[in-house]
Amino acid sequence: MIRSIFGLILVLVLGAIMVAVVPDIEYSEEIHGVGLHYTSQGMQETGSANLVTAVIVAYRGLDTLGEVVVLFCASTSVVLILSLYPLSLKVSRPSFIVAQTSRLLPAPILLLGLYLIAHSHLSPGGGFPGGAVIASAFLLVMLGGTGVPGSSRNLAAVESLAGLSFGLLGFWGVMKLGQFLNNLVLGTGTPGSLVSAGLIPLISLVIGIKVASELSSVFAAFRYKGGH
Amino acid sequence: MLELYHWSIAGTALGLVLIGLWGVLTRRNIIRIALAFTLADTGVNLLLVWTGHIPDRTSPIHDSTTAALNATEAMVDPLPQALVLTSIVIGVAVAALFVVVAVLASRRTGSADIRRLRELRW
Repeated sequence: MIRSIFGLILVLVLGAIMVAVVPDIEYSEEIHGVGLHYTSQGMQETGSANLVTAVIVAYRGLDTLGEVVVLFCASTSVVLILSLYPLSLKVSRPSFIVAQTSRLLPAPILLLGLYLIAHSHLSPGGGFPGGAVIASAFLLVMLGGTGVPGSSRNLAAVESLAGLSFGLLGFWGVMKLGQFLNNLVLGTGTPGSLVSAGLIPLISLVIGIKVASELSSVFAAFRYKGGH
Repeated sequence: MLELYHWSIAGTALGLVLIGLWGVLTRRNIIRIALAFTLADTGVNLLLVWTGHIPDRTSPIHDSTTAALNATEAMVDPLPQALVLTSIVIGVAVAALFVVVAVLASRRTGSADIRRLRELRW
């Protein structure tokens, strides 16, 4: 009881501070600062029609590499903890609906994931959402069966390969143009066409594979039975 | 009208953050704490996207309809959206770790109640 009251007081005080501060955020009907450069020059400089992807993969590619590393650390920790202390859940037989859905849907889901990755520079989507969609297909297959995933060594190999490719694509820029992850090693191409935007589609593909294998190994880890 | 529009988005974002904080502070079930935590996370993301949003503009993707317009006056700012994508990914990573630690903790004490985790008291 006392805890609820303390919590409520704290939340109310914080809420009052936020309500006082938020109207002072300088809201404007115009874009400022670096966003102005991204919207006006982004497509010419990177060749990517999708400016969010241009920012994530081209302008701030190094930060995305860091982000991928964070996701890698998290998924590795989850897999490590769960392989040391397996949950050993009792896996019951999936219901009729889940079992049938898990046969029908994975293929269209995979297609959607691949589409999101391949069109990352043209339409909403990209490596991260595409990879998550592909991992959801994997999850559906897993839920539709009673099997227990064995070793996820193959997933780990795919993931390591994708991470390595990200680094190598970055070093291609160093070799050719003297800048890590420079997007222009392949030229920008015609913005709006499928093969354009330099390295962006390749890096999106690598990120997609990496995210898909990481999330899949996290899902698989929840069903480990222990023992190797 | 525009004021109402902005306040409804910012208010939702702040509300989510506060509800999440309230949940983290007062709930005892560790899974509910994890849920409240992700709720606060969502609120922060919404607030960040709102700061870059400008009403009546398109998403920052060039296509045939934006080709004729001046991009800086037709699109919203792509930068906050790119930042929020990073934030979402990190949020997923943290949530996954949170759930795993929660499951281990509940297994150790035999219940999902965080009051049973006496080792963390001081």
